[in-house]
Amino acid sequence: MPLWFARGLRRGVVTTRYPARPDSSSVFLPTPPAFRPGQLTRETADRIVAACPNTALRRQGDELVFDVGACTTCGRCAAAAPHAVTSSGEFELASTSRSALVKTIPIRGGLR
Amino acid sequence: MIPLDILYGAAGAWLAAAVAGLLGGSWRPGLRACCVLSGLGGAAAVAGGGWSLVSANTPVVTPGGAAATIVGGPVQLQATGLAGVFVALLGVVAVAIAWYMPRYHDVGRGSAVYLGAYNIALLACLAVLAAGGMVTFLVAWETMSLACYVLILRHPRSGESARGAFWFLALSEIGFLLIVAAFVILSAKTGATQLGVMAARGRLVPDGWRAAAYLLALIGFGFKAGLVPLHVWLPEAHPVAPADGSAFLSGVVVKLGTYGIALFAFRLLPGGGAWPGLVTMGVGALSAAIGILYALRERDIKRFLAFSTIENTGIIVTAFGAAMVFHAYRQQALWAFLLIAGLYHVVNHGCYKTLLFLEAGVVEHATGTRDMDRLGGLVHRLPRSAVITFVGTLGIAALPPLNGFVSEWLIFQGLFQGFRTGSHLIAILIVLAAATLGLTGGLAIYAFVRGFGIPFLGMPRTRQAAAAREAGQPVVGPALLAVACVALAVGAPVMLIALSRAARTVTGVALGPLLLPGKLTVIPAHTDFSAFSPTYLAVFLTAACAVPALIFLAGRPRAASVSVPVWDGGIVSFKPRMQYSAMTFSAPTRVTFDALYRPSVSVRRASDDDPAGRSGPVHYEAQVTPVFERYLYRPVVRAVERLADAIRPMQSGDVNLYLLYVFLVILLAYLLGAV
Amino acid sequence: MTPEQDEAEAARQVRERIAGQFGRSLHIRTLDTGSCAVCEQEIRLLTAPHYDLQRLGFFFTPAPRHADLLLVTGPMVRAFDVAARKTYEAMPGPKVVVATGACALGGVYRPDAFVHGEVSAVLPVDVWIPGCPPSPLALLQGLSVAVGRLTEKITGLTFTADNASSGGAG
Repeated sequence: MPLWFARGLRRGVVTTRYPARPDSSSVFLPTPPAFRPGQLTRETADRIVAACPNTALRRQGDELVFDVGACTTCGRCAAAAPHAVTSSGEFELASTSRSALVKTIPIRGGLR
Repeated sequence: MIPLDILYGAAGAWLAAAVAGLLGGSWRPGLRACCVLSGLGGAAAVAGGGWSLVSANTPVVTPGGAAATIVGGPVQLQATGLAGVFVALLGVVAVAIAWYMPRYHDVGRGSAVYLGAYNIALLACLAVLAAGGMVTFLVAWETMSLACYVLILRHPRSGESARGAFWFLALSEIGFLLIVAAFVILSAKTGATQLGVMAARGRLVPDGWRAAAYLLALIGFGFKAGLVPLHVWLPEAHPVAPADGSAFLSGVVVKLGTYGIALFAFRLLPGGGAWPGLVTMGVGALSAAIGILYALRERDIKRFLAFSTIENTGIIVTAFGAAMVFHAYRQQALWAFLLIAGLYHVVNHGCYKTLLFLEAGVVEHATGTRDMDRLGGLVHRLPRSAVITFVGTLGIAALPPLNGFVSEWLIFQGLFQGFRTGSHLIAILIVLAAATLGLTGGLAIYAFVRGFGIPFLGMPRTRQAAAAREAGQPVVGPALLAVACVALAVGAPVMLIALSRAARTVTGVALGPLLLPGKLTVIPAHTDFSAFSPTYLAVFLTAACAVPALIFLAGRPRAASVSVPVWDGGIVSFKPRMQYSAMTFSAPTRVTFDALYRPSVSVRRASDDDPAGRSGPVHYEAQVTPVFERYLYRPVVRAVERLADAIRPMQSGDVNLYLLYVFLVILLAYLLGAV
Repeated sequence: MTPEQDEAEAARQVRERIAGQFGRSLHIRTLDTGSCAVCEQEIRLLTAPHYDLQRLGFFFTPAPRHADLLLVTGPMVRAFDVAARKTYEAMPGPKVVVATGACALGGVYRPDAFVHGEVSAVLPVDVWIPGCPPSPLALLQGLSVAVGRLTEKITGLTFTADNASSGGAG
């Protein structure tokens, strides 16, 4: 018991100070994808949409509609098109309106 | 004019009511006439009782002169202060029942006899209380018992009814024999038949006979009062009698048992050592605890209330016993104080127990059942009855500010002063009695939360309960008693003044400033112990409830409010069977006091040997072992039967043997005469 | 005003209303409408010493009568309709409903005979917290947004990255 107490004193306070200060462990969190519009062709977009098991990704004409709320951070879109998809690193995603969670990303258009 | 004159009026009214009942009780107008007369008699009794309460004992009156005799003895009447308390209670109960009867009773078979018997019982109770002589007392007592027996047998067809009435009669008769024995001893040793003279000559009774007479009286009156183990008739007789009959039994007849004990303890045989008081106190405390413990096992409302009566009798008798102990140790102030406290509890219990029994009758009338587990939700269907019952429940659970709290506070404060006797052993015994009463008080609150909550609150458990309607139910009678309960609480100082006058006629101690130093504060016979003001408490509690209400009314938010159902955990449909049942609510006490209840549990599964292992219906039955019936009464009954069997050969029917008997008796008489 | 602007305005009003009323402490009632319970694990982790939501004045309570905020997970199984509505109605106003997890936001299950698919089919949701499961940090941010202590960041995020970099959003 005293050993544990001493160890704890040496380590200091482990409670995070989030949201007042950023938390150092947040870099390890799985986060929704970010897309590179420059790499997004229609074909790539279709491949990404097919890879998504949920309703998070849809292609509407020349736009890729990404519903952040439906994303389960499974990573299959990144596996399908690693040059076009990367991790966004954003985990602070709360929203007071459902529509604000639906993002549109422009597709480059045309086959490459 | 003396109080006795008013009591004559009451007696006359009740006699007229009895006649009216017997003649016209089978028709509605006759029932009404009978009730009116009964109520008038009750009002007169209240007046007469109240007056005799505050005045000195009247001289003994022999109406009709020396020529009027009854069973060979003179009719002697006397209005005493002690009896005045009980007469006033009798009057209040009679008025309440008189206002209750018309709406409750069906006229028809047996109602005429019932009404006649009821009013004769009232008359007999009055005669017991106004008796100035031994013979009058005994004759009136027996008349009362027989009239009550007829009362209980209102519905003679059911076997249960016969058993209940039989228990009542059998135990009444045994008690009567013991009372007769006690009176005979006293009368023989003091050479008088007037109670006043017996009291004055009490010193002439030698110690051994004094002890014997007191014990006989305690047991004899204990049968009627319902002391454990003499209580067995109460739970049998109360459920089968009609509600007003049960109310009368518990409210008045049982109190007459305590009157008898008080009569012997305080008026006829005061003095003697401490041990009569200790025995009385012990029996009282035991009755209180056992009474309420058995009450927690009951699903039938009336059986439950009957056991509660046993509990309250125990409390009253404990107070009387402790008073006797204090008298033996020359603490006269506490002697008078505990007598006052006991008498106050008599009046209080008479009021709220009668109220509760009348309301039990209303519930039974409205729903057709007395079983708590078939009721529920009656607070919405019988709102006025629910409010009245709630007042009675608050009273009997001894919750402030009502009257039960005041009288129990007084008794506890008296018991806590056991240290003033100077003897450590006595002080410890008195404190043990107080502790037992404390246990009883806690269990009583528990029991009455169950007794009010299960039938009245929650959802109805059966269709019968859901179909109950307030219309046509008697309300005024019980409401009068509820008002009386509140008045007895708020007007406690007035009541205490009256009771202390009554106590003075018996004990000769005037408490005065040792009871009520100011206008409204009560102290327990000594200035250095504690103090309490029932009136201020009632006012304060009312104000304490009013203040949040006013704050709410003044400052509540003006936004619209929404009414939503009670949060039940989100259950889709809440079924009445999901509620507490009467037996599960009291399960903790049953488990704790297993040794007392000795339950016999039988569980039968329909499918223990079903190869498929399907579960079928499971029958669970738990029964309390009737300890007193099995281990006390049945052996006695068997012994009597064996004795009777042994004697039977004497009655062979052979004329020659009978002639031999005659000859032997003549021979014996000749020899005795010659000696 | 476009529909998006209307919605943003309504959201801003909700935030103002909430911030005014829930100043320093918030009592949260959690409701699981059929989730896989991983969201519940993350919610439970909030009470652990590392995240400690009580230092922010947030508390869990089982009684809806005492709750200010209803934290709902799961795709709103139809069998749970009555219970969800009863819980919501048992909460006295003012109250906030927060839906969290991809299931609750409608991303995982399509409406069918057994499930509504999203919480907003039955309850009026005020704040949405995405994630599968939402990490405790995301939950803390979401709760702080719900009481108006933080402004939401999501409107400013575009989830695009330029060609050269491998992280961050625009």
